[in-house]
Amino acid sequence: MYMLTLKTLDRRVRVDCAEAETRSLLTAAYGHMEGDAGSADLHYTVGRDSARFFIKREGQDLLAAADDGMFLALFDADIAIELQKLRRDLYFVHAAVLTVDDSAFMLVAQSGGGKSTVCWALSHHGFRYLSDELGPVDLKTLRIHPFTRALMLKTNPPANYPLPATTVHTSRGRHVAAADMPGGVCESLARLTAVFFLRYDAEAREPSIRGISAAEAAVRLYADTLNALAHTGEGLDAAIRITTATACFALVSANLTATCALLADTFKNLPREERRDWARGN
Amino acid sequence: MAKHPTRRSDITARLVEGEMVVLDRERDLVHQLNLTATFIWQRCDGQCTGEEIARQLVEAFDIDSRTAEASVGLALQQFERLGLLERA
Repeated sequence: MYMLTLKTLDRRVRVDCAEAETRSLLTAAYGHMEGDAGSADLHYTVGRDSARFFIKREGQDLLAAADDGMFLALFDADIAIELQKLRRDLYFVHAAVLTVDDSAFMLVAQSGGGKSTVCWALSHHGFRYLSDELGPVDLKTLRIHPFTRALMLKTNPPANYPLPATTVHTSRGRHVAAADMPGGVCESLARLTAVFFLRYDAEAREPSIRGISAAEAAVRLYADTLNALAHTGEGLDAAIRITTATACFALVSANLTATCALLADTFKNLPREERRDWARGN
Repeated sequence: MAKHPTRRSDITARLVEGEMVVLDRERDLVHQLNLTATFIWQRCDGQCTGEEIARQLVEAFDIDSRTAEASVGLALQQFERLGLLERA
């Protein structure tokens, strides 16, 4: 039995792996979160027999997966839900998060909106990686916790953003370990200062960006919140708290390099103390 | 359409920098209202008629009564279509 201990969101997750292949898959996806062994808040046993992968969490029925990609997808979904239960105080947004200095921004998009691809590309332009899927926000401080699961791309990125040789390929995508992100990893909480709502437009020749109101941003953010009902006002107050304190933009992506340049230029030129007002054009 | 339009009591609504954000948990929808729609929404309290709301809109936004009546009619239709008002 191989044991893997993950540390994230100030909680410890112990995963007992029955054989080497599942351990290898989990290490590829979650290895950056590996921490010291100790009392676990969450405990899994995973493995593979001749027909399937399985995931067993204490007190729950066994989850079965036909292949490696499905195995990781099921594990991702389960651990995301369990972490939300363990950290009900945090506001979980389905988002990629990157940082510059001590400032973080979220990339929020519907499925297929290109969030991970833009995140991967931005990592080549000096931005540090904080998360690809979960943006857990501390509502008191508006700081985001790192959730450094490997970035997952459903398709190959453009040739000018090549994948590293260490990329793990599964039936559902390509997993790039946090340690292999070209811009490095943000290891600590970072203050959320901007939110970009990303939409890919295949017809657009150039990317475009516009500042949006806190109300519009709250509506968009709420739609991508994972644990809204754990918070007062059915989570709406928290969404508003975030969007009234950050600069919010609607970003239509097109050419990937141009999209990165537009986002980087917008973010880096936000006045440090006046990001919110700047976005609204005041 | 109801003579005195009334917001559904189970709706969560918050005013955010002049625009209303409306959460309808029953339909699992969240809406953003613009300034005019917000003004009209705030008066859907079961006390005002559509005509009264239009008159208040004329004063508040300095527009002609025809434009105000059209705006109120359209907004109330949309609120009703979205199920945000109590049924008549």
